Amino acid sequence: MITQALRIGIVCPYGWDTPGGVQNHIRDLAEYLIAKGHYVSVLAPVIDEDSVPDYVVSAGKPISIPYNGAVARVLFGPIAFARVRSWISSGSFDLLHLHEPAIPSISLLACWAAEGPMVGTFHAAAKKQKVIYAIGPILEPLIEKLSARIAVSEAARSTLTEHLDTDAVVIPNGIYAKRFAHGERVEKWSGNTIGFIGRFEEPRKGLQILLDALPIIARFAPDVRVLVAGPGDSEKVLEDIDMQLRHRFEFLGRISEKEKADLMASIALYVAPNTGGESFGIILAEALAGGSAVVASDIPAFDSLLGHGEFGALFPTENPQELAKIVIDLLREPEKRRALAAKGRTHAQRFDWDVVAEEIFSVYEMSMVGGATVRLASENRAWNRFSTTEWGNQ
Amino acid sequence: MGESVKDLLLVLLLFLLSLWYLSHSATRLDRLHHRVETSWANLDGLLQRRAAVALEIARSTISDPATSLILTAAAHQAREANVQDRSMAESGLSGALGLLLHDEISSTAFIEKDLMRELSELTDKIRVAIALHVDAVNRTQSVRKKFVFRVFRLAGRAPLPVTYEFEADVL
Repeated sequence: MITQALRIGIVCPYGWDTPGGVQNHIRDLAEYLIAKGHYVSVLAPVIDEDSVPDYVVSAGKPISIPYNGAVARVLFGPIAFARVRSWISSGSFDLLHLHEPAIPSISLLACWAAEGPMVGTFHAAAKKQKVIYAIGPILEPLIEKLSARIAVSEAARSTLTEHLDTDAVVIPNGIYAKRFAHGERVEKWSGNTIGFIGRFEEPRKGLQILLDALPIIARFAPDVRVLVAGPGDSEKVLEDIDMQLRHRFEFLGRISEKEKADLMASIALYVAPNTGGESFGIILAEALAGGSAVVASDIPAFDSLLGHGEFGALFPTENPQELAKIVIDLLREPEKRRALAAKGRTHAQRFDWDVVAEEIFSVYEMSMVGGATVRLASENRAWNRFSTTEWGNQ
Repeated sequence: MGESVKDLLLVLLLFLLSLWYLSHSATRLDRLHHRVETSWANLDGLLQRRAAVALEIARSTISDPATSLILTAAAHQAREANVQDRSMAESGLSGALGLLLHDEISSTAFIEKDLMRELSELTDKIRVAIALHVDAVNRTQSVRKKFVFRVFRLAGRAPLPVTYEFEADVL
């Protein structure tokens, strides 16, 4: 058992100022660990250095490159590498926690530069691509350096197994379940309402599936309304919607965490019609914690989060008819809906940071068995062991 | 003349490169062996603690005399087993503890609850520790099978790590 405060270095591969699941996860984890009395330093690409919290150290401005079907804001190159090295050598960390070390960004560089207890968390889930045969031999010796690997979902774990032939411990993403437990019911959002949160313009978020299902749903539930929250151009989406259905839509724009909790407490159903590209589905965990009944497409991430349908209803991906059937069924039977929501709410406690962060911490403890601390790999090379020059401190 | 100097330089360069590659590979393998050792030390420590908890449960009021007997025997076997018999002995202890966990435990006493909680926490950790150890062993084995590692005997005299066949589903 380790009881003393640790010095933990976390590396975030994506731009800190851009919203994203990985960034949120790191922020929450870092703040949880700091609240527990540990010293935490997060190294991340940063655009505006003045607006970041104390515990974030900038590694430079992120570069935008297309990666895995989206634009990723990552960072690499000699200057970034020098910063990574000096962060490692001056931090005297007990442990490094690298996020997405298989993505070409500073986590990968840190994995290369450091030696000692390192934990890697893999977030992404992707289909096997041919390119892995080319980059696999480069990545494998690096990924091997990690003392423990964490995958955020079964989907992310099987991606790792297929791509890099290595296994991982599954520890889900965390939510602050308590914040969602105290959402207030808002009158104008309640009734036969369906909630949808996300960048609705992205096809993979599946708003179109819900749009296609709505005419059928409206026939059986005449007062149904759809509340859409998230950034995007609502005018453009509304134009494509049938005139008779337009009044059923309400676009809320970007909403705060508090409003999100209130929304989850008010709506009848939360619908996630995503068509893919999702590795975990944190929003579903939040919807469950907020007490909403959830209907989701049966992509692997959602299927496993919802316990194969036990904690939320699943419909076959990209099938508006099936979605409509399930939604109508649940809207008509409030008892069934409430029972599903209650089950889901209990299940959501499993994703609470109190549970998740302790699991992560116990992996930290296991990685530190042996008593070594983090140092630069180059200090270990024969010619450096005998020389007095220190490369790390630039 | 100039040509042969060029050739010589090229050969020298290739030689240095292959030296570097060998040293790099040896470091890589050394790191893997180290991982196998530390992950085993971790797993071993957790298993020892579990045996201690099992003995304490056997002495407490949770278990009836028959269960106590089985638990005590299994825990002692697990503690005293040598490396070859270890995984079988630990699986035996898992089975004995599994019997206990399957039964509804009605005891409300504070100490008993504490013991059961400690046991379930340990079980979770052991599951993770097994995964980490098995992964380290598998990687080491697959790297040692590679051509360069075999031909240049980069593993030296380090014994090939063996997979610990722990029956994870018993946990």
